[in-house]
Amino acid sequence: MTLAQKGRWTTLVGLVLLAAVYVRALAFTPIERTQGPAQKIYYIHVPAAIWTETAMILVGVASIFFLFLKDARLDSFAEASAEVGTAFATIVLTTGPIWGKPIWGTWWTWDARLTSTLFLFFLYIGYLLLRGAVADPGARARYAAVLGICGMVLVPFIHFSVYLFRTLHPMPIILKPSAPALPGSMLATWGVSFAVFTVLYVGFVMQRYALARARQEVPHA
Amino acid sequence: MPETFPHNAGYMVAAYTVAAVILVAYAVSLYRRTRNL
Amino acid sequence: MLERLKLAWVVARKDLLLEFRTRTAILSAVVFTALVLTVFNFGRDPTAVPTIDLAPSILWVTFTFAAMLALNRAFALELENHALEGLLVSPLSRTSLYWGKLIANLLFVTIVEAVGLPLFVLFFDVPVWHVLLPLVGVIALATVGFVAVGTLFSAMVIRTRFAELMLPVLLLPFLIPPLVGAVQVTARLLSGRPASEVVGWLRLLGAYDIVFVTLSTLLFPHTVDE
Repeated sequence: MTLAQKGRWTTLVGLVLLAAVYVRALAFTPIERTQGPAQKIYYIHVPAAIWTETAMILVGVASIFFLFLKDARLDSFAEASAEVGTAFATIVLTTGPIWGKPIWGTWWTWDARLTSTLFLFFLYIGYLLLRGAVADPGARARYAAVLGICGMVLVPFIHFSVYLFRTLHPMPIILKPSAPALPGSMLATWGVSFAVFTVLYVGFVMQRYALARARQEVPHA
Repeated sequence: MPETFPHNAGYMVAAYTVAAVILVAYAVSLYRRTRNL
Repeated sequence: MLERLKLAWVVARKDLLLEFRTRTAILSAVVFTALVLTVFNFGRDPTAVPTIDLAPSILWVTFTFAAMLALNRAFALELENHALEGLLVSPLSRTSLYWGKLIANLLFVTIVEAVGLPLFVLFFDVPVWHVLLPLVGVIALATVGFVAVGTLFSAMVIRTRFAELMLPVLLLPFLIPPLVGAVQVTARLLSGRPASEVVGWLRLLGAYDIVFVTLSTLLFPHTVDE
């Protein structure tokens, strides 16, 4: 089986398991008393957010190794992880406001996770745009690696800026679910969802990586 | 079950739907782009 | 190390000399700064919102736009007549080249800020004398941060199709920590808040500068070498 095919199967398994997570979260997980059913958005929103950030860190790590080893496969992995990270960022940025509206009363809150993901999203878009804008493949890989490393290094600064901002401008409610202090059944649902998002990340990256490698072999005009 | 929680299930459904749409759409996009690989 | 700095100054001097002979970019940046400040002034209702609330944001938006103008021209000069290749085959080290560009850009942006700040004080009637030194300090810290990253990115962006558009797009996320920090500190300075509130932000700005100047210096060779 080719890598792309393995990736497709992995993705399919991931999507089927996602359906199972949906059933578990929607029908078999207790409703949180103060937030109501909307709290369940958390089981999708947070795993997606974790992978959005992890994907960026992986882009950075692959970029560092690429600059040292010059192995085109590392560049392809970075390309793949960036695109998949963007897809997950989109999930965070759409489910976040949908969660925020019933809970906080407003679509957008400068909540730590949402704000960080927004800037990660800008990083991803910049990265993908840069890759698209450089014609020479060698330069493209090098420039993308430079940007990827800078992006990865930026992540802690964004977190710290948001943290500093929030400690001086406290939000009206500190949302308890931000910390994993969930009772058993909810924690289990969260854990399963996170595992499924991991499977989806792997499946998506496998396919996207195969695509990137194929394009390297037959360079586009 | 005591009805003490806010009735915002609509938002829950919306978010779950949006997430599913994005994931499936991306999976389909990848499938179409890697079909021949 | 000293040799590198001397060479960097040679590169910076070249850029600055070129700039001052024509003076086009710096004039545009200064005029632009005045324009932005004027527009903001006419855009607000002084009876509705106290100036002091908007002032820090206005100041920093203006400075950021001006910095973008400076950065856009940073490597544009070298594109003409393949001057960049000439620089690269010379015995000039990549570090010196980056530092030279960085110094030139910093000086350029500093001049624009030095004109912009008095204009800002004038147009918005904001009292800054009692906090002038810390304010200048914050301006310097934040400027170093985004000019360092901007100089690195401008080297990459000149080879792309929409260079003037790509630079702000790439730079945007990297502007957040220095800008948010700068605006927060400026706001607190202007409203006379105690120094203890700004220490955290100043540490953030300082750390950002150290990390990104170092990182940009290390990564710069990859933007010009094969």
